[in-house]
Amino acid sequence: MLLSSVIIILREVLEAALLFSIFIALSRQLGFDFKWVAWSLFLGLIGAMIYGLNIDAVSQWYDGVGQEVTNALMQLGIYLMLLLYMLLLSITLFSTGRPNSINHKKTLKPALVFIMIIVSTLAITREGAEVILYFFSVTRSENHLVAVLTGMTIGGSIGISIGFLFYYFLSSLNFKWSIIIGLSLMIMVAAAMVSQASLLLIQADWLPSQLPLWDTSGWLSERSAIGQLMYALIGYEATPTAIQAGLYLCGFIVPILLILGLKFKYNLYP
Amino acid sequence: MKIKPFSYFPFFLIAILLCFFQKNVWADTPIIKIEIRNHLFIPSEILIPENTKVKLIINNLDDTDEEFESYELNREKVIIGKRKGIIFIGPLPAGEYPFFGEFFPKTAQGKVIVK
Amino acid sequence: MKSIRTFLIIVILSTVTLMAFLSALNGYQDSMAKAEQLFDSELVDKSHLLLQAFLARTLIDNKIDMTSTQPLNATVSENSASLIKDIELENEQMAAENNFFAFQIWHQGNLLLRSSHAPQKAIAHFEKGFNDSNFLNHRWRTYSYYNNTSNLWILTAERTDIRYVLAENIILDSILPVVIMLPLLGILIWTIVSFGLSPLRKLAKELGNKRVDDLSPLSIDEQPIELIQVVNSTNDLLKRLKSSFLREKRFASDAAHELRTPISAIKIHLHNLAAMVPENEHSFLQLKSSVDRMGHLVEQILNLNRTSPDQYISRFNTIDLYKLAQELIIREYPQFNEKNIQLALEGEPCNIEGDPFALEVLLQNLMTNACKYTPDGGSVIVTISEKQTDIQLQIQDSGPGVPKEQYERVFDRFYRLNGDSHDSGTMGCGLGLAIVQQIVELHQAKITLGHSSFSSGLLVNIIFPKEPSARKQSVSLPEVS
Repeated sequence: MLLSSVIIILREVLEAALLFSIFIALSRQLGFDFKWVAWSLFLGLIGAMIYGLNIDAVSQWYDGVGQEVTNALMQLGIYLMLLLYMLLLSITLFSTGRPNSINHKKTLKPALVFIMIIVSTLAITREGAEVILYFFSVTRSENHLVAVLTGMTIGGSIGISIGFLFYYFLSSLNFKWSIIIGLSLMIMVAAAMVSQASLLLIQADWLPSQLPLWDTSGWLSERSAIGQLMYALIGYEATPTAIQAGLYLCGFIVPILLILGLKFKYNLYP
Repeated sequence: MKIKPFSYFPFFLIAILLCFFQKNVWADTPIIKIEIRNHLFIPSEILIPENTKVKLIINNLDDTDEEFESYELNREKVIIGKRKGIIFIGPLPAGEYPFFGEFFPKTAQGKVIVK
Repeated sequence: MKSIRTFLIIVILSTVTLMAFLSALNGYQDSMAKAEQLFDSELVDKSHLLLQAFLARTLIDNKIDMTSTQPLNATVSENSASLIKDIELENEQMAAENNFFAFQIWHQGNLLLRSSHAPQKAIAHFEKGFNDSNFLNHRWRTYSYYNNTSNLWILTAERTDIRYVLAENIILDSILPVVIMLPLLGILIWTIVSFGLSPLRKLAKELGNKRVDDLSPLSIDEQPIELIQVVNSTNDLLKRLKSSFLREKRFASDAAHELRTPISAIKIHLHNLAAMVPENEHSFLQLKSSVDRMGHLVEQILNLNRTSPDQYISRFNTIDLYKLAQELIIREYPQFNEKNIQLALEGEPCNIEGDPFALEVLLQNLMTNACKYTPDGGSVIVTISEKQTDIQLQIQDSGPGVPKEQYERVFDRFYRLNGDSHDSGTMGCGLGLAIVQQIVELHQAKITLGHSSFSSGLLVNIIFPKEPSARKQSVSLPEVS
């Protein structure tokens, strides 16, 4: 029970921790305060409780695939929010230091903070609900209590530690590089969201299912620790289908194109 | 902000993909029922034909929730205690695809055998 | 914003946590695999034992020649009924306590013997080796063992969940300390990092506690090598600052001092010249007023330097503030009388600890200001009152007053209200209140400005503490007089 509780908690915590560390590092670079972190934690925990306690009802929606659809919608929501965040951030960065331009840092700050709160809240809601379900299911038998608690502590600590180290890595970089790396990671996390959402929709039979395109599980198994990390970070799948891979690619390319387009526009008309 | 024409490209790609792979959608979907009892999958081995989509109906008879999980099948779904859950799997190439209940992984184990 | 301490604590703790937990998990996995192997080999042993026991009993009972091709099952099924009963009884007791182990002995598709709770159906495949299967509402680890000579299948099974809990409970004991240790480790790392950074904190504190005018070098002893460069650079900077500070000080006071003599000379010459020029000669009057102004400026600069806290060698005595004010009023009365200003002194005698010369300059400056800005026929009130812990000095006039937003600025050196275009046309150099503030600081008093009790005008309120706290040792720069 220990190992599985470690894996379950780690998978959920790691995703949130990575997202948070990127956001916090970027906030720091932009000179925002960290009040939004407390808000997202608070709202996210409330959301997780509500979702976790009502998952029974949610599951019954759409002929028994409500859970998949809800999760997929949350993930698509996160994706769109991240997309918006990246665009606003790019506008902020491209416009600063240019003559005759409004100070976007000030005007766009509320929007950026709002998006961070929404994204973090959604992420915690989805992941926290699963942790809550797991915890209440497993601890019903006394046999596993110690093992599960130990496992949850270990998994949570590992996830948070990685988040911290990641944050300090990002904030040790200079402004330009921390923005570039932060944005790239965000693009990967966002694309991973699309891939996961598409997978859920395939599972719910909302998207057509297909034979997998390839199988890289021999090369990097999704079960392995690195596989889990890659899953959280870039949405690694060993056996994706064409739709999933296509959507992942789109999820990856769209923000890059939009950011490059913005850069192009600002370079043309400064 | 003006959207540049090339940013429509991904949506075209999705549309093309969707049209191309539409053929499987309307095929008859066989149904396979699995029960979860005492943290066991019953039956623990299920046989499905190759390259066919299958609808798994998982009936959790336990009080506790369980999460049907399979890395090989790329599936993950919480089945609430005393409730049923539906998961679509396949089409799949021949082979063995282990699955397990993530909440009680030592006992809740099984595999899908595709022939 | 960045804290070295937080950074060190979090990064070290995170790294240690990561490493400790990952290795603990690794150990857990290895141990669980070992335990699994152990249970498996035990299962194999059990199968062998079962076979031996079964063969021994049947041999003894029936003297069967195992090598014969005669089917075993008939004999066994007829003759070993009692044996089966025995074993089943035993098993039932075992099963009641711990439903952990099950077995079956098969011979050519017939079940010869089984543990009490084993089902009638085969509990495992008739394939040699280990497998997993579900029966009796549990998951079992099964082992199928085939004995060639007796043509028997021994199927043994152990419950996976129980095996797992048994193994995990043992291994948990070795992992729990690592988890419990973590908060302890956190405290330890926190302490160590704090201790390690204490020289830095001490240096920062030493610098923070330094008085503005304390330019003495920091001690270089007891500093760790990492900080020696910092301390050396700081000391170097302090040294340079001190010498330039001294130069500036000396220049101002020397210049003022040196200017006094020529100004006196000019005044004498002006006096002599007065007889030669016609009365009301415009240029002459202008010259006279300018020279007076210059003389005033020089005096004020000297006052400012004399009362500067960083070089003032104070001689504090007990002084009666009321009496001092009285004397000054008598001395300054002519200029008030000239403008027809009513001057009143209220209050009672009260003693304060102070420097007589400085207090005199203070009162003089304030009264001159009041006189300057009060129109003809106005009034000025000086109040001295004793409060519980302090003594209050108030000077009110009926002049135009000072706009609120200027309260801060009027204390700046050379700042004059409304610039140089004073409507009162009075002489001044903008140093008066700067000097006053310096003297107020020297006495650890507080000065505030406000509205006077007249319809317009300024209220200057100074509160002297009765018992000034232990006087900071005024570090004088001895080279400067």
